[in-house]
Amino acid sequence: MRHRTFRLGGIGALLVLGVSACDTNQLTTINQDPNNPTSAPPGPVFTNAARLAVTRWLGGGAMDLRGPEFTVQHLAEVQYPDEDAYRRLGPADTDGDFINAYSQELKNFQAVIDVGKANDQPLLWGPAAVMRSLVFSYITDVWGDIPYSEALQGDKGVLSPKYDAQKDIYADLFTVLGDATNAMAAPPAGAQKLGAADPFYGGAALGWQRFANSLRARLAMRLANVDPATAQAQIQAALAAPGSVFQSNADNARFPWPGDGIYDNPWMANFRTRDDHRISNTLMNAMVRGNDPRVPVYSQPTEWDTTASGGPLCATPPCYLGMPNALTQSGASAYFNVSSRPGAVFYGATVYGCPTCGARTGATFPSFVMTYAEVSFILAEAAERGWAAGSAAALYQQGIQASMDQWGVTDATAINAYLADTAIAYKGGTPGLRQIALQKWIAFYTNGVQAWAEWRRTCIPETVIPGPDAIQNTVPRRYRYSIRELSVNADNVAAAIARQGPDSFPTRIYWDTNPTAAPTYPGATCGTRP
Amino acid sequence: MTTDRSVVRSVLNSGLVLLGLLPAVASAQEATTVTGKVTAAVGGAPLAGATVRIPTLRVGATADADGMYRFTVPASVTGEVTLTARRIGYVTRSAQVNLTGGSMRQDFALDATAVELTAIIITGLGGEREKSTLGTAAQQLNAAELNATRAQNVAQQAQGKVPGVQITGSGTQGGSVNVVIRGQNSITQNNQPLFIVDGVPVSDADRGGDRGGQNTAVNINSTGFDYGNVLSDLNPDDVETWTVLKGPNAAALYGSRAANGVIVITTRKGSGGRMRTELNTTLTWERPSILPDWQNQYGQGAGGAFSWRNGSGAGVNDGADQSWGPKLDVPGRTICQFTSPGAGTPGCTPTPWISHPDNMEAFFRTGFTVTSTVAVSGGTDRAFGRVSLGGDNVNGIFPSNDFRRRTAALTGTFHASDRLTAEGSVQYTYNTGHNRPGTGYWGRNPLENYIWLGRQVDIHALADYQGKSGATNGGPATREFNWNYNYHNNPFWLQDQNPVVDRRDRVIGSLAAHYKIAEGVNATLLTGSDFYRLGIEEDYARGGLAFVNAAYAGGFRFVNDYRSDNNTALSLAGDRRLTDWLQVHAVAGGNARREYYNTNSQQTTGIVVPGIYNPANAAIAATISQRLERRWVNSVYGSAAFTLFDWWTVEGTARNDWSSTLPQNARSYFYPSFNTSLLLTDAVPGLRSRVFSAIKLRGAIARVGNDAPVYSLAPVYIGNANKFSGQPQFALDPALANANLKPEITRSDEVGAELSLFENRVTLDASWYNKSTHDQIFNVQVSPASGFTSKWINAGEINNRGIEALLTLTPVQLPEGIRWTSTLNFARNRSKVVDLAPGVSTIVLGNGLFGDVTIEARKGEPYGTIRGNPFARDSAGNILTDGGLPIAGPFSVLGNIQANWTGGWQNELTYRNFSVSVLLDVRRGGKIVSLTNYLGDYAGTMGSSLRGRETDWNAPGIVVKGIDVNTCQAPPAPPNCQPNTTSVTAENYFQSLFHLIEPYIYDGSYVKLRELRVAYDLPAKWASWFMGARAVSIAVTGRNLVTWKKIPNVDPEFAYSSRNDQGMEYMIPSNPRSVGFNLRIVP
Repeated sequence: MRHRTFRLGGIGALLVLGVSACDTNQLTTINQDPNNPTSAPPGPVFTNAARLAVTRWLGGGAMDLRGPEFTVQHLAEVQYPDEDAYRRLGPADTDGDFINAYSQELKNFQAVIDVGKANDQPLLWGPAAVMRSLVFSYITDVWGDIPYSEALQGDKGVLSPKYDAQKDIYADLFTVLGDATNAMAAPPAGAQKLGAADPFYGGAALGWQRFANSLRARLAMRLANVDPATAQAQIQAALAAPGSVFQSNADNARFPWPGDGIYDNPWMANFRTRDDHRISNTLMNAMVRGNDPRVPVYSQPTEWDTTASGGPLCATPPCYLGMPNALTQSGASAYFNVSSRPGAVFYGATVYGCPTCGARTGATFPSFVMTYAEVSFILAEAAERGWAAGSAAALYQQGIQASMDQWGVTDATAINAYLADTAIAYKGGTPGLRQIALQKWIAFYTNGVQAWAEWRRTCIPETVIPGPDAIQNTVPRRYRYSIRELSVNADNVAAAIARQGPDSFPTRIYWDTNPTAAPTYPGATCGTRP
Repeated sequence: MTTDRSVVRSVLNSGLVLLGLLPAVASAQEATTVTGKVTAAVGGAPLAGATVRIPTLRVGATADADGMYRFTVPASVTGEVTLTARRIGYVTRSAQVNLTGGSMRQDFALDATAVELTAIIITGLGGEREKSTLGTAAQQLNAAELNATRAQNVAQQAQGKVPGVQITGSGTQGGSVNVVIRGQNSITQNNQPLFIVDGVPVSDADRGGDRGGQNTAVNINSTGFDYGNVLSDLNPDDVETWTVLKGPNAAALYGSRAANGVIVITTRKGSGGRMRTELNTTLTWERPSILPDWQNQYGQGAGGAFSWRNGSGAGVNDGADQSWGPKLDVPGRTICQFTSPGAGTPGCTPTPWISHPDNMEAFFRTGFTVTSTVAVSGGTDRAFGRVSLGGDNVNGIFPSNDFRRRTAALTGTFHASDRLTAEGSVQYTYNTGHNRPGTGYWGRNPLENYIWLGRQVDIHALADYQGKSGATNGGPATREFNWNYNYHNNPFWLQDQNPVVDRRDRVIGSLAAHYKIAEGVNATLLTGSDFYRLGIEEDYARGGLAFVNAAYAGGFRFVNDYRSDNNTALSLAGDRRLTDWLQVHAVAGGNARREYYNTNSQQTTGIVVPGIYNPANAAIAATISQRLERRWVNSVYGSAAFTLFDWWTVEGTARNDWSSTLPQNARSYFYPSFNTSLLLTDAVPGLRSRVFSAIKLRGAIARVGNDAPVYSLAPVYIGNANKFSGQPQFALDPALANANLKPEITRSDEVGAELSLFENRVTLDASWYNKSTHDQIFNVQVSPASGFTSKWINAGEINNRGIEALLTLTPVQLPEGIRWTSTLNFARNRSKVVDLAPGVSTIVLGNGLFGDVTIEARKGEPYGTIRGNPFARDSAGNILTDGGLPIAGPFSVLGNIQANWTGGWQNELTYRNFSVSVLLDVRRGGKIVSLTNYLGDYAGTMGSSLRGRETDWNAPGIVVKGIDVNTCQAPPAPPNCQPNTTSVTAENYFQSLFHLIEPYIYDGSYVKLRELRVAYDLPAKWASWFMGARAVSIAVTGRNLVTWKKIPNVDPEFAYSSRNDQGMEYMIPSNPRSVGFNLRIVP
């Protein structure tokens, strides 16, 4: 009996030794991810993050086509008008954009900045810093106070970053843009460039300097009502910084879409499967007033006008009509065939040319992230306010002309007629500021958050008021915080709400808190449905 | 073949004894050869597989198919000994015999037992054990119990039969089956049990609700195709036993994956002797068991108006896919419709506006399923085996949907010498599905059409779409003929012209060598592999609204999965009686597991030439993906069970794993378990009486460790297979890796009692358990502003406590053969999310369609909290209205998906050759979110949406019973709110409920008549006409015949997948009702 027990024990011990003696290094090797690298070159990281950022803020989602474009009434919703009525603009609907803006875009720009700075490569980290600032400015303009100084440090253990006041965020953005511009203007010899990984400028330093300075000017002007001194100082600093601002449409921060079916212009990609969008009456009325030659580019003739089965809806076809915002579902569907879709340039294979973007079909039409037209209007306003040199009238006209060029309007006669129209010709003073704001709002077509931000600052056009079926009487002045944040970063969100005001649509964010300082502002009734 | 189970070691032992002692017989003068026959006491059928042994001498044999056994006792042993005969499902009998040399015969007639207290059960890695010595809960189903009726997935055949095991079938034929034993242990990881076939762990991976990269683990409305779990590859006719080891206690030896319980399956092995043939054929017909109650009074449109022009908005509301249109069946009412002559032109001739109440039923066809298995077994004493071939042909209830399964199984046993025995088994399965219907909220779900189907639409007209383009009635020429061109495809076209094919080849094989080191001590080397290759091809024809880029001629998606799980174990097992009062059963071993998974896919939303689904025809460069996962786990384990005085057993087990997925310093984790059982009726003299046949008490404590998901330790950049203008793209993984993970631990305690009363006429097996999993490894959400959406951490704890009981009664058992047995099972589990990560109060497991409802693991609540928007109410509970419409209140807890209790009641009545068995399956409580009802009301298609339009589309309207907030005075004045008096149309009312999920949360209770089987066994003399069969049985069977439920319109039983985000349905088909015939020829 005993010897058998020994034998059993002996074999057992052997088994134990045999198996546990397995090489533990091999177990470590097995768990090394064969699918994904632990580091990646900065170029591909930049390309990916830039594409996602443009898609988010100038794309088919809740931060443009299914949100601000309705809120600011460039477009109206003809089917299931829930976003248009602010019904589907709640925390659940905009949550994903908040989450992904940080985790998919900002963190990756930050990774490029970290690598670039560690290796003293300003032409790598500079463009990433500009893009990071752009994205942060979009986020803060939508939500107000947001995580900034402690953000993007999850890998350093900061998993619940605090919310910074928008005032402080703006101040830091000016610093960051200034530093980036200076660094890019003086790169070390043989500095690495992003090259083809940079879809905007192919890695050219001057392009990024001008983009950085133009963005700095945009953000400066945003503070005109609450902190005019800073606004003035920053605009002057942006103009004086190396490279200055955009000098022509060729400098535009323009994102080119390959149009390969995978990466198509995001508006085109949306309209390919959805038929929800029509031009808003607010935009159409503002444009037809002066026979704006951009109308046939921004919009298409109505369906029934072209099919000739319903019309005539207007005296002389082609017929461009808008529709009201935020109707009931059955009310909206009545406009299905009798209102204009967004321009043919966003649809299918229509070949479209413009001097600065070449011949394009809808899929390859670029996204205009920041333009010479906008910069011209900023400078016009600065000139009118006496913050910068130059003729406000000339800069205003330059802005309109740049927008026409940008959108491929080449009919000089029509443009001149438009510029000569009594409503359009520059009037100067407060009326001039109103004209500048209106033209900027028109030129911002496809850039919903920017148009909405400028509307909040200027209240131009005053005709932006909630539609009949909107769930509240005032146009939202911000969107509501992320559900995810309310659950996983609750204390910091609560502190932000305590500082900024209730987490609701009507709460005004920092740069929107002194509207009466805006000469264009009509008062408390702005954006309020009677 | 009946329930002859082949007990490997018994066969082995007897074989070894027989073979080993042959020389001794030749040389000895007075060896005793013991022979005899083992039969059933009632009916006298021979009991193949029964073991007859002399326990004190450790010799014995297994009865052959004729019930005959034979073994030889060495000449050195003479005198009085006890001979015992036992067989699973029968009461063990003993006889005193006198060994005198020469030849002697002892026959046994065994009584069937209702309780398996004395049965042998497959448990742990040590093989079989007597249930009386087990300190843990286990329940074994034999083939007859499991195979009473047939379902597509063998797991469904166990539904309602084992307390504490919740098995939820998918309504989609061939779809996923969700199995949860004693509640969910893990917050976000797998909660499915481990399946083991013939000692080899097999995969039960699923591709439920699969839609490539777009599907996330927390998307509850799983859109895509449900390709089912791979457990459906098993042919139920090859299953010998199905044993459920319910928790960590019984399963600690099986390793990490056993924390969720283990289901141990053994397959039929055959035995030596004459060749035997078996045949089992079932024919069944299927129909949906539950169809929604659609309204048939109002047609398509909005505001009571509709007229067709082009199906996308050119007519009057003809782009709308809702049924708030004009009243149907009004005499004389004609409206231009998609089928009207001249539809699409100004000269359209209006046609009568009439209802089509059968338009859903007419879409389905009657499903038809044929399953057959033929098996042959036989051989010699030294080498024997079994070969089986199985075939299933399922013609689904959806048009053009079918499934085929072919199985081939081969098992063999070879006694190479008196010490060495080799066993092998290999099962090959070919499984294919064609045109599975899509699931969830997307256009490929043909049932989704019915939520959004104009109720006047004549489905027969849609069936006749061939050769017609959309241009036929004013729609686009690039589309198929349909009733709406904005949002929908023709459901018949979807099913017929968009082939979806999945094919899986799978092999489960094992090879074992047993070597007898000494009497009762065996070494076993077992190597087994489960591997399969799954290919999926989804073709999307031109004009499809889901997936296909409208500018191109169609698209495709191909997926290839390869998975293998290889295990090699070396173990040593001893089972010996050391003294009169001490029996030892011990096992020690080591196991090496090698898991490999490789998946790749190619997909594009645009092709050039229609109908050619090949990357070479891609107009948009195909997106390629590839992922490879490997996991190695090395283990050593051991257990020792000591049975004292034949009535007290104490057992300890221990296992240590080394897993590749954990950091080097935390890679090794050890977990012990301990259990004891006490056979009270043997321990206390005089306790056994006419009333108490047996009383057993048991108790167990256990820990089980678990490792991490692969590759969660180091941060990575994830590449994008698509180039942007030729440029590569990378992004940092937003799930923050954690190099400091440690193993997670499940701890479980249980106690139980097994009672047998009135000579087994009443038996009760009851358990109480309490288990907790803490230090859970999960990907907890963090503030996305940190740059990461989640982080892998150890945190959180889920506790499950519950009771289970299995009561078996034999109220009638008369000598003439009438016998009624009734089995009741009951389980009640109380789940609680004790803790989550620091600062985290909830984890979202799944989201509703529009972010308006979530299923969550919420701290302090049972797993599976439902949250959403309720009605806004005042302090007195009155609904608040504005403009006559209810207002949504803040997002809050609205219920929980956990059932109060589940149970089953099976009755079997046998009289002579007739038997009837009935199984009721019960679930009590647990809430369901029904998006079918929610959107059916929104779209005006559901019967319930008639409220408020009983007279006409806008009459009488609905006055919501509530308080009109506009009448309330501003503080500090008294509120003085007035009741709402504003009447709104049904259309406005139901559409105002959008985002307001409260009214669409239902009680998920149900009682299902799950199984019904009426069988007739042909008299033995007739049976012999069939290839010399011993028994021929014919039966009428039914599954899911009746459902009593509380939720309207939908089947309360559903699963899209075996993931954790259960409890929310959207237009998932009901579990089919099936009726059929079964023919079984038993040799």
